[in-house]
Amino acid sequence: MHFSEDDLRAALKRKDPGEGFTQRVMARVNQADAKNKTSPATEKSRWLWLRRWNLRPAWTFAVVAVLFLSFAWAGYEYSEYRHQKIARENQQRLEQAEEARDQAILALRIARNKLNHVLQHAQLPADAIPSENDKIRRQRL
Amino acid sequence: MEQRAGREEDRLELALTRSVQGDSIAFAELVREHQGMVFSIAYHFLQDRALAEDLAQEVFLELYQSLDRIQSPAHLTYWLRRVTANRCIDQGRRKLRRRELALEEAPEPTATGHPADPLLLERLQQSLAGLPAKQRMVVILRFQEGLGPAEIAEALEMPVNTVKSTLHRSLEDLRKSLTRKVREVRYAFF
Repeated sequence: MHFSEDDLRAALKRKDPGEGFTQRVMARVNQADAKNKTSPATEKSRWLWLRRWNLRPAWTFAVVAVLFLSFAWAGYEYSEYRHQKIARENQQRLEQAEEARDQAILALRIARNKLNHVLQHAQLPADAIPSENDKIRRQRL
Repeated sequence: MEQRAGREEDRLELALTRSVQGDSIAFAELVREHQGMVFSIAYHFLQDRALAEDLAQEVFLELYQSLDRIQSPAHLTYWLRRVTANRCIDQGRRKLRRRELALEEAPEPTATGHPADPLLLERLQQSLAGLPAKQRMVVILRFQEGLGPAEIAEALEMPVNTVKSTLHRSLEDLRKSLTRKVREVRYAFF
């Protein structure tokens, strides 16, 4: 089925909203006026900017996108901070463990030296006692 | 003719100035002047008289609260078209599913190829209601308001080329939709 642009114009010709439309609009205006108690020229509602957003989904989308990116960035930064903190703590623990190991090794070395020293002193009298061979040598002489 | 247009412009300018100063009679004159345009855009878009009237009233209420930002009668017309179009698209998104079901349930008129037939116009309106929101609004602004692609682009905040391609696609879709409906009716008969 074919149609011309004139058919479309005819299908979309302006329609009258009917009698009393202006009165109904004015009634709503007066109702809103009474509610707000402000004149149209001076009204600077605090939330007017928010209502205007209703007409601009693109702005709403932009704000949501900015908020989302901000949260994502904040989340990433916090995650990085946590990783760095954990790495720092692990590093500290490792350094403490190495220091403790060095101290333990030093303590063991000191203990070994002391033990050797004591052992040497403890063995001296035993060396001074003549052995069986010495006795035989003296008898022959 | 030009003098008459100039007088009309002056009258609207005066009504606008008085409205901004809080004169409700002048504001009522502005409403009377533009109610046909606002209501028709809403009605052709929503295909529901009560919804269209409610939406048109809300648009004028918003105009009343934004009068201090309107600079001239031409700006007023532009502002009303833009706000009405955006509100219609928002409203249409919410009512999309319900309206589609209602259309499916609507009785089909008999087929006819005569261009002046009112049934063709009814069919066109039904097919138009099946178009996506943006496409529908572009067609309404083009053929109801007689706007050019640049003006439509400005009102809907779209690139001009997108408006042109949308308009072309919309007309194609309307033709296809009309052909499909005629076929359905033929199958129903035979």
